[in-house]
Amino acid sequence: MSPSAGAGLELRQLCREVGDRRLLDQLDLHVAPGECVALLGPSGCGKSTTLRLVAGLDPASGGQVLLDGVDLSDQDPGERQVAMVFQSYALYPHLSVAGNLELGLKVRGMAPRERQRRIEATLELLQLGELRQRRPAQLSGGQRQRVALARALLRQPRIVLLDEPMSNLDAQLREELRPELRRLLCGHEQPVIYVTHDQQEAVGMADRIALLDAGRLQQVGSPRELSTNPANRFVASFLGRPAINLLAMEPGRQLGLRPEHLDLGDDGAVAARLLRREWWGHQQLLWLDTPWGTLRVLTAPEVPTPREPRLSWQRQHELWFDPQSGARLRP
Amino acid sequence: MSTRTSSLLLMLPALLLLAAVFLYPLLRYSWLSLHASSVLTGLVPVPNGGANWGRLLDDARFWTEAGQTLRFALCSVALELVGGLALALLLNRPLRGRGPLRALTLLPWALPTTVMALGWRWILNDPHGPLNAALRSLGGSSYGFLSTPATTWFFVVLADVWKTMPFVALLLLAGLQTIPADLEEALRLEGANRLQILRRLTLPLLVPYISLAVLFRLAQALGVFDLIQVLTGGGPAGSTESLALYAYLNAMRFLDFGYASTVMLATFLLLLVSLGGGWLLLRRAGLERTSERPA
Repeated sequence: MSPSAGAGLELRQLCREVGDRRLLDQLDLHVAPGECVALLGPSGCGKSTTLRLVAGLDPASGGQVLLDGVDLSDQDPGERQVAMVFQSYALYPHLSVAGNLELGLKVRGMAPRERQRRIEATLELLQLGELRQRRPAQLSGGQRQRVALARALLRQPRIVLLDEPMSNLDAQLREELRPELRRLLCGHEQPVIYVTHDQQEAVGMADRIALLDAGRLQQVGSPRELSTNPANRFVASFLGRPAINLLAMEPGRQLGLRPEHLDLGDDGAVAARLLRREWWGHQQLLWLDTPWGTLRVLTAPEVPTPREPRLSWQRQHELWFDPQSGARLRP
Repeated sequence: MSTRTSSLLLMLPALLLLAAVFLYPLLRYSWLSLHASSVLTGLVPVPNGGANWGRLLDDARFWTEAGQTLRFALCSVALELVGGLALALLLNRPLRGRGPLRALTLLPWALPTTVMALGWRWILNDPHGPLNAALRSLGGSSYGFLSTPATTWFFVVLADVWKTMPFVALLLLAGLQTIPADLEEALRLEGANRLQILRRLTLPLLVPYISLAVLFRLAQALGVFDLIQVLTGGGPAGSTESLALYAYLNAMRFLDFGYASTVMLATFLLLLVSLGGGWLLLRRAGLERTSERPA
């Protein structure tokens, strides 16, 4: 084990069941100090459940949450020194921006002078000084999000949890805020867990991505690792847009080929017929009819498309899966 | 037709109804209160130059009962508020069988007051009522609960609280359900305990609902009639008589319609003043207004 073993946040065999529904199934995950791990997956995959278990808002049905080697399971949410940014931001509507920051310090019994000092410092850090007297209802979405962040960082938490913190913002603002969010949150001493259903956000924010489906961890690794070396068919098809082509070329084996890895030409292995052409950002996405079904191909706009093109690809880009289980088949 | 004209036209039926059941009686009472109209005048209204109002100012019974009514209203509304809040907080928690429990809680409120008051009168009956039977079986002796002013007053308040607390609870429960769960969770994560969450978050956010419940209940309690009429008849010795009961007695027993109208109007004015005062107090208390919520 590395010398830093035990440091950071560690989830061991974490489970959550409600009735006979298994929301989270034996999750093992380690988040190093200062590391940002994105929990990614479709709705209902267990990512928010995981967050609530770490925060202590819901009881775990099994497993442990350890911080720097200490089991947090018996600690109340208030004792865990966890900061959480909610999807709704959860700002106290009856209090001003400054009041929102102050309430948490007040209930902990911090002296007024120390409270003021911390609040001023945080307001300045997030450039919220001019908004200090505003109520949440008088703020824009981006401003509310900054206040929620300020409230989370103010207490110098030992763990930072973010639950879809940008899903209420428009796409442009989201992109603008990403570097700022990274600067504020990541690379300090706290482990950060960032829940999102948006793969772009996960790729942009996180050091590593943990992909979940139906309560089970599918794969954890760097964004690059997940897209170039997916552990199974779910990972391969969840990541990457347009989605990967899956072809039942041989019995007992399914071939996955990403649209950007297919080449059009006159001498490929597979004959195809052009069905449709659509714009995909600055590229064109071609829908082609082939003997193995409809394929999507992403090409540069200047690539000419013959009426009856032939498709080819490089061996290294082939991803083979078991058609039943979806498990990756390695040569 | 302009929008203004058409909207007035659309409101006309409602306005006419209001005028018939509210404005007309008010004007009629005002007019009657300036007349003598009793058996002595053969029930024919005769102008008496405001003598009714002079009599009211000197009427010790009126002022005693004004005090009694106010005391009753303040005590029962305060108890209902505290009890109703506790009940609402309980019913807002995730409990097994919460739906039926909520319905059950509302039962006393759904009961007609007369029926409820008769029930209480029987419970408190000396010596046959169940409460006295219980006292005796514990070795005590029967007690005339409705024969001494102190116990009678206590049970009148208790009966009113028992009946209307569910209403207050329902109103506050509706308010509690407008508070998103994640607000409470956020404050919990910041280290607040239950009491701090209640004081710093829940109660401030409930202020509009508390105001509504208090004003609503205050108006009802200040005009209390049926409960007292059936449970005690105003007794013993007028110690539980309310203003509404006094107005009723003047009209229906003493057949003094002129003076009854005066008492009625005075009660109405008292009610307006109390509600106005209550509203101002609540507005001061609710300085941290919650009318603006995040979208």
